[in-house]
Amino acid sequence: MIEHGPLLERLLEGEFICSITDEHSFHKLQNDELVNDLNHFLRPLNRRVAKNDDGSVYFLAYCDLTQNARQHLSHQFASTVQSLLPMLEWMQLVQEALGRDGALNAGDTIKLQDFESKVVDNQSLIHRLAHLANDRVFKSTSDKPDMQIKQVFKRIKEMGYLHQPHKDRLFYIVTGKVEQLIELVRFIKDEENLPIDDATPEQEAMF
Amino acid sequence: MSQAPKHKSSAQSNPLFELGKERLELIGKHADALMQGYLEGQVNELAFSQQALQKLLDSRILFYPQEQSLSLRPIVNELIASLTLDERKRQINTDVGEHLDQIDTRVQSLQAARKKGDYAASEHHMQLLIERVNDMTGQFGDAIESLWHRLNTEFGFVSSLDDKILEIELAQRQLRRILDGFGIINFDDLIQLAGSDGALRKLLVSQLQARISEHSGSLLEVQKRLVLLMARFRQQQDRALLINRMAAFLRQHPNFQIGDYPNRSQVPAVINQAHGISPQAFVALDRARDSNTLAELARAVPREPEQASQSDKQNEGFVMAVQNLVATQQKQLAKDVEDFFIRVIEGPEALSGVDYLAEQVLPWEPEMWLFQIVAEYQGLPEHNKHSFMLEKDSAQQSRFNQLHIIQDVKVGMRFSDDYQAAE
Repeated sequence: MIEHGPLLERLLEGEFICSITDEHSFHKLQNDELVNDLNHFLRPLNRRVAKNDDGSVYFLAYCDLTQNARQHLSHQFASTVQSLLPMLEWMQLVQEALGRDGALNAGDTIKLQDFESKVVDNQSLIHRLAHLANDRVFKSTSDKPDMQIKQVFKRIKEMGYLHQPHKDRLFYIVTGKVEQLIELVRFIKDEENLPIDDATPEQEAMF
Repeated sequence: MSQAPKHKSSAQSNPLFELGKERLELIGKHADALMQGYLEGQVNELAFSQQALQKLLDSRILFYPQEQSLSLRPIVNELIASLTLDERKRQINTDVGEHLDQIDTRVQSLQAARKKGDYAASEHHMQLLIERVNDMTGQFGDAIESLWHRLNTEFGFVSSLDDKILEIELAQRQLRRILDGFGIINFDDLIQLAGSDGALRKLLVSQLQARISEHSGSLLEVQKRLVLLMARFRQQQDRALLINRMAAFLRQHPNFQIGDYPNRSQVPAVINQAHGISPQAFVALDRARDSNTLAELARAVPREPEQASQSDKQNEGFVMAVQNLVATQQKQLAKDVEDFFIRVIEGPEALSGVDYLAEQVLPWEPEMWLFQIVAEYQGLPEHNKHSFMLEKDSAQQSRFNQLHIIQDVKVGMRFSDDYQAAE
């Protein structure tokens, strides 16, 4: 167990472990036996190792949903929901600015310089960036696109959706936590029966 | 092909040789203009002299599909597409029936010539037959190569995801047709056709069978990969759609209330994420063997900050004697309130501020005392605040305004089932 100390500590601190943030630990966690041992250790702390649907990211979940756990989940869920639209808009912005086919996936690399040069070339993207950066989730006070971009990426990194391999180099990799966010979006869509499945844009406008 | 050197001289004497060579050279000579025409879909007449244009038309390289619009002949288009692996225009020709008919005819001509003992004619028919068989398998080979090429570049020749999905669907249909083509080849018929002729048997049965089974294997792999790629593209498309639609929905419904999942009886797994706790540890002196290490650490602590704070205090001493007196009183008050809170923490039940003041015979005015308690409570860090319960005992002073006067405050611990209250 001793050699898993650092891993346990990171999990306890609330980190999400995926192949991008920590490939070595991620592979360790794919071993069911080890996860059992960890769970045994975590039991008194009311925690267990959990993973998302496609197993691309590991994190700690509560074992028993005590009043306290629920209280915390409420708090956390509220803040996730608050950041939901800004996060989705950010994903759209990156996808469009970089001219990508599909949505952002875990493992995608974003070079800040590329992104910035694409954004400043396009008035509508500049506008959308400014709108996004002003959101209370990102709280940028600057009116310069480069500062706004830095702030937005910094915040998203803090939220755990981006990994910056080198502190002084401005490129980021999308982490597995994004998959968890997408799963949440899909879950909300299904659970709330949101009319967004087959709706064409015209139909949506009527709601 | 292995027979080519043997026939070299006779091939050169063939009148076709000169004509074909001349026309290939003609293509080379006008390569610039022809490629331009290939890419633009239309050839510019003015790029050629009248004479050259006529030559190109006569050589069946260019033609006028409609008046005033000069184009490359389809076969030239196809040649360029195939040579340049241009998947936008590359065609897959999977017509097997035609080949089989031709093979059948060739074999019959060959056998007729043999019966007559015409060695030269039978040699000629054999050569055509070999070419025909090679054409057919080569055609499959080309088609499969084209499919692989498209797969390996992930259909990079079209840019949007929607187009890629359409291209995969097209590729899947082409693949289906090639497989259907394989189905038409009936080896029983070919065995019969070859009869007892060893060379024919080898060409039409064993060689062909080997090539076809090799191609089938390759096609199966292509098929598998196509399905995988399609799944991936569809997933990406689905994801992009989900993001776009959810974002649009949330923008249109800014007041949309999401269900209270954390408090449902069944909390969905997707939101069950435990909060972080940071394990901390402090210097402990209860273990003798650590003392050396700790002493070293202590020696390594930089000293400057201490000196700075001393000089600060000295300055204060001279300049702000009076303020210090007030500050001392203030500090005493704060300390008493702190003691009060400690008592609350230690005690089993909520404590009244006024009662405590009387009990401890403290010198503070009750109003000031209560104010300080409330201030101290409000000043607590958010997570500590949760640990206390503050109840104000207040009464409305008059019916005519909203003034409430606090007569007492009760402070108690909020008992929670474990240390998680810290968050």
